[in-house]
Amino acid sequence: MIFGDNHLTLSHTPTQWSLSFLAEPALDLVDKTGETGLLKVHYAKEWSATREKTSAGIKEVVRPFDWSYTTSYKGTEHRAGGGKGLESDEKGRIPIELLQRRDPILFADEVVLYESELDDNGISILSVKVRVMEQRMLVLCRFFLRLDNVLVRIRDTRVYVDFGEEKVVREYTSREGEFGEVKKKLYMEGLMPDAITVAFRDANQIAHLLPVVEHEVESVDLKGESR
Amino acid sequence: MSDLDRAIAQLRACRPIPENEVRELCHKARELLIEEGNVVTVNAPVTICGDIHGQFHDLMELFRVGGDVPDTNYLFMGDFVDRGFYSLESFLLLLCLKVRYPDRMTLIRGNHESRQITTVYGFYDECLRKYGSANVWRYCCDVFDYLALGAIVLGASNTLSQPAGSVPVGEDVEIEVCNADQQIISRFLRKGPNGAMGQQQQQPTTNGFSESGSSGPPAPTNTGPPGSGASGASGGSIGNPAGAVLCVHGGLSPLIDNVDKIRLLDRKQEVPHEGAMCDLLWSDPDEIDGWGLSPRGAGFLFGADIVKVFNHRNDLSLIARAHQLVMEGFKEMFDASIVTVWSAPNYCYRCGNVAALLELSEDDSGLGVLARSNGDVNRSDGGMGGQGPRGVLMENDLLGYNRAGPARRYRVFQAAPQDSRGMPAKKPVADYFL
Repeated sequence: MIFGDNHLTLSHTPTQWSLSFLAEPALDLVDKTGETGLLKVHYAKEWSATREKTSAGIKEVVRPFDWSYTTSYKGTEHRAGGGKGLESDEKGRIPIELLQRRDPILFADEVVLYESELDDNGISILSVKVRVMEQRMLVLCRFFLRLDNVLVRIRDTRVYVDFGEEKVVREYTSREGEFGEVKKKLYMEGLMPDAITVAFRDANQIAHLLPVVEHEVESVDLKGESR
Repeated sequence: MSDLDRAIAQLRACRPIPENEVRELCHKARELLIEEGNVVTVNAPVTICGDIHGQFHDLMELFRVGGDVPDTNYLFMGDFVDRGFYSLESFLLLLCLKVRYPDRMTLIRGNHESRQITTVYGFYDECLRKYGSANVWRYCCDVFDYLALGAIVLGASNTLSQPAGSVPVGEDVEIEVCNADQQIISRFLRKGPNGAMGQQQQQPTTNGFSESGSSGPPAPTNTGPPGSGASGASGGSIGNPAGAVLCVHGGLSPLIDNVDKIRLLDRKQEVPHEGAMCDLLWSDPDEIDGWGLSPRGAGFLFGADIVKVFNHRNDLSLIARAHQLVMEGFKEMFDASIVTVWSAPNYCYRCGNVAALLELSEDDSGLGVLARSNGDVNRSDGGMGGQGPRGVLMENDLLGYNRAGPARRYRVFQAAPQDSRGMPAKKPVADYFL
């Protein structure tokens, strides 16, 4: 299901710099050829093994594509007329301690950009949420893939804006772990089997259990810039 | 008032019945279902419904639009549970109605009627939450194992029945699409014997609901109904009894070339990963030639040629299936040889789709039900009194082949109003996510 009318856009009025989160460019980054090596459902071997004798003639995967809809989308940036934009910033970081403060939230929302049930083999969802406080705001664009009994994949793009400094930090973290490993860790945390099933539906409960496979930070300082 | 009627009344109010009553109900249901074959025979008129997915209030809306039980004869093609918030009430109500009116209610199995799937997608948790134990879930799963795998609808008419006080239905109307208030959105005429394409009758609608295909400039005459993507409706001459309609949750299987093979399966088990039973509940039609594999590594896809050959061989005019969300509620494919019917409006409470049910009316010419020898390979003429042209049709002629399809009335409906759900449309509380 594509929620093509949903989007979230941050714009800096003086410079007309903006960063948008949209479904279409996110889906453009999904592999359409199957060349990256397709994921298989956990019972694929069992499924095909029992069919080798009876339906051996049927071997062709029609129009292979990454059916998990995995994307590395970090948002669509728009720089007005050669103005500044996000640049790699190895030392940059999002000040978590400031975001942990219980400053009143002035605006908050969440929109889904696309979602698939993977034919009842888990979930694949790309959503964006935002919260705006007096002095700062945080956006989290999260791709969450749970392929039952195979793997869990979380790709987070966080955008932090400090209103006073007019600075934007974008942090991308890709995490991935085997389903069985995650399950073991949840069990070690003391969860009962029913609670583990529930935890697997909630990316927040499992993100910290997944090894980081990719991390990058970019930033842009928009202060004093204007067109 | 009997206990069963009281249970029905309570479930209609969306209140679960006590655990001991569930146990008794499931026991009775099993006794009833065990007597049914893998493929249930249903006589038209019948109203065919797709996935429900625990959307209880939308199921009530479906009964409002399609008529109440037992006045309307219903056939549900599985996926009663999971995803929605009221899987328990929805399934138990359908089961109560099945036990109360066995001849007016047919339930066949969907891929969600399984222990493994319901553990992951909500029904198990719901039972646990509402009863404090998994007993009710277990009783229900035991019933799932006894649900039929498919149904054959016999005696469907080539012409639509005429509801009282409605616009007269011509004999040549093949497809009629109505909204929830019994208003006609559009009508499609049969192709004539000379090969003329189906024509669309324009019907003004007054409420502006889903007018795609009936508003604006005249639609091209070779288009199917809205959402069908069909290049013309199925052919056939008027007055012949329509062929039978096979109803199954997912689709066909390469292991099943004839309906009788479905009858031979041992269905009383958890849905397996292997074999034809799995395929019937899981496979999907697709715009391909022949059979294909899903990129997921499990699951078959089948093309138009497969459907047409299967329908011809089995004397079917149409396959009705569910399993896949279609935004407009129904979708006819492959020259109207197969249709997907979807009956969960605004699926998961956020997809924004409409739902549909498919009404097949009764053939009163007396020719439809007689002498049908479903699946007999060496039958002489399939009960067509020697008039049928199929005796000389070779299978390689089949790509242009169209059985005289039954007249189909689709009723399209939207989700029940929010205020009937008894739960506020709440915004999530702003959370301090990091």
